[in-house]
Amino acid sequence: MRRNQLPVTLRVTLIRIAAGLFVAGVLAFTIAADATDNLTAGKVDLKSAGPLAFGTDGVLFVGDSVGGAVVAVDTGDRTAAASGAKIDVQGVDVKIAALVGVTPDQIMINDVKINPVSKNAWLSASRGRGADATPLIVRVEPSGKVTVLSLDNIRHASVSLVDAPESKATGRGQNPRMMTVTDMAYVNGNLMVAGLSNEEWSSALRSIPYPFKSAQEGATLQIWHSSHGQYETQSPVRTFVPYTIAGKQYILAAYTCTPLVKIPVSDLKPGAKVKGVTIADLGSGNNPLDMVPYNKDGHNYILVANTSLGVVKLKADSLETYAAIDSPTKTDVAGVPYDKIGELKNVQHLAQLDASDAVVLTGKPGPGPAWNPGPSVGPMNLQTIALP
Amino acid sequence: MLAVLAGPRASGQQVSIQLENGAFRVTGWIAPPLPRARGAAPAQDWSSVFAVYTGPADAPPLLGTYTVEVGTIVFRPKYPFASGVRYRAVFRPPGGGAPVEKIFDGPSRATTPLARVDNVYPTADVWPANLLRLYIQFSAPMSRGEAAARIHMLDAKGAVLAGVFLPGEELWDPAGMRLTMTFDPGRIKRGLTANMAMGPPIAEGKLCTLLIDREWPDARGVAMVEGFRRQFRGGPADRIPPDPKTWRIAAPKAGTSDALAVTFPKPMNDALLQRMLWVATPQGNVDGTVSAAQQETQWRFVPRTPWKPGDYQLVVDTAIEDVARNRIGQPFDVDVFEHVTQHIATKTISLPFTIR
Repeated sequence: MRRNQLPVTLRVTLIRIAAGLFVAGVLAFTIAADATDNLTAGKVDLKSAGPLAFGTDGVLFVGDSVGGAVVAVDTGDRTAAASGAKIDVQGVDVKIAALVGVTPDQIMINDVKINPVSKNAWLSASRGRGADATPLIVRVEPSGKVTVLSLDNIRHASVSLVDAPESKATGRGQNPRMMTVTDMAYVNGNLMVAGLSNEEWSSALRSIPYPFKSAQEGATLQIWHSSHGQYETQSPVRTFVPYTIAGKQYILAAYTCTPLVKIPVSDLKPGAKVKGVTIADLGSGNNPLDMVPYNKDGHNYILVANTSLGVVKLKADSLETYAAIDSPTKTDVAGVPYDKIGELKNVQHLAQLDASDAVVLTGKPGPGPAWNPGPSVGPMNLQTIALP
Repeated sequence: MLAVLAGPRASGQQVSIQLENGAFRVTGWIAPPLPRARGAAPAQDWSSVFAVYTGPADAPPLLGTYTVEVGTIVFRPKYPFASGVRYRAVFRPPGGGAPVEKIFDGPSRATTPLARVDNVYPTADVWPANLLRLYIQFSAPMSRGEAAARIHMLDAKGAVLAGVFLPGEELWDPAGMRLTMTFDPGRIKRGLTANMAMGPPIAEGKLCTLLIDREWPDARGVAMVEGFRRQFRGGPADRIPPDPKTWRIAAPKAGTSDALAVTFPKPMNDALLQRMLWVATPQGNVDGTVSAAQQETQWRFVPRTPWKPGDYQLVVDTAIEDVARNRIGQPFDVDVFEHVTQHIATKTISLPFTIR
């Protein structure tokens, strides 16, 4: 079955490679230096390691919620992968725990991304579960080798996400406000950062030009979305992915209350109040975790991993025709149709590997109730899967 | 490299492994002089001779640095010793022979409970049906990843209410002592499928209980001193934006350090009360201490130095929220007929008062 599909997949891949080479050529022409030229060697002052995103040339962006910053790190991971290399590491949390000398229950894996050049998986994690946990950046190679990246002397740059301090009386000493970075993506020379405050409820999506400039916080955007044409609200973006619909660049953003919203990138200007169009509502008691867009057999899909809904495959051929949801048609879902992928169970993270594969981090659900199991208690496995 | 290592012989005494001052040492075997005097050997070479393991047999060895100090191989782990961890140090003689192995236990686990829930905000005993967030203030730093299993909402009969809170990230303060819980916004926002199918998380008129398990481990892994239980009643949904015109300012007398008290007609978001109101004069902001009182319906400000007579401003960040996330001039979910473009654009507003 898959052999019959190969020519189509290959054709798509070749078109993508050709397009990629063209884009890379243009970039190489316009930006003579590589993406690591602005980075300086030294110890990285990382307080936590949350969401990850890869830029070009092996530059890895690390969201540091506790430190209120994003750090760009030169991983040096620039060797192109051998084709067809697959990852299958059972008990990756156990291996990380052994490297850093804790029991596996003290390892929390926060994100998984694939370096598009080397196809190595990169994980962010913490050693410990308290506020003083040590952040870890971990590389997992298809050979199964697990390496903790030393942050003692590495080329890096950082940009603060903390709003300019204001001279105000504070109620309880140390400022308890924290902007948790929930997702990041590198789009056209800008790092897009979604955040969720532990105090005010707002929608903050920042666009930060890279290379970072000093004190450059980037544009903060207010994004509104409607629900069934009746009400409008601001809500934090949980996860998002760049996406092209009918030749136009969009961000597909999934909110904490699971509407899926499309926002034209051309609207994302500094200070803009942007209104996204809700194209799907994935239902209640759920939090979207990761999204992977792909093309298979000539059709477009988006694979979405969720906290309680599991993994779903959105049929994305006609996203341009899905206008705002005007009326709820079902109690569970409205808008873009999707299928549940039942065989992908206990997915904690999902990352795109190439045109036809993804990498999933799976692990036994946490000890909470079925609707909110909480983070996996392990052991956790990192595996390549064929996109369904 | 191994050939170089195999050169020297054992010193005559029995080879043993010691743990001293956070470092593992092999004694009774003389390490060869390093090609680079006193420097660290490449870790991959030394780890084939001497390694420390904390995981299962197929797991990699512990990360750390090797040095040779007066002929002794010394391994210093990169990370601090952890309680509950068993360290298996293995020396494999480069020239062959039986490996020497020694087990060390990490520091013993703390066992004395210290943590408790200091308070839960809002502190009122009636919570609006569209309450958006709870703040749980602990007395000590806590373990992450436990909230889903340790926080329960019960109905009047003691049955667990499912689907109340938003799953996903735990939102802690940097100290790990205050957790923000968000009620499922899909059930609060009018028009969403979850709201229509399940209704709001808190039912108006019904008694509910918030229960927090004693078994929640603190950051040291020790359960709390006691659990936490609070009963409350669901109130009507509140979709009315806070209106500063309805706030009462009680100005203290000049020469005193009495609190300035600002009273609201309904509870406000406790965390935002701590930083979204302040006192200013034309010369700048007034230093002092903020607190919330009367179930978050009052903001109190005690100046660092006694009040001087004159005109003051109470400055309000318009992003301040009530407990249902209504903002000044902007309810949580806006009926489209009210037009989204009519929101207040100013970031702060000022309310004047005079100290006499």
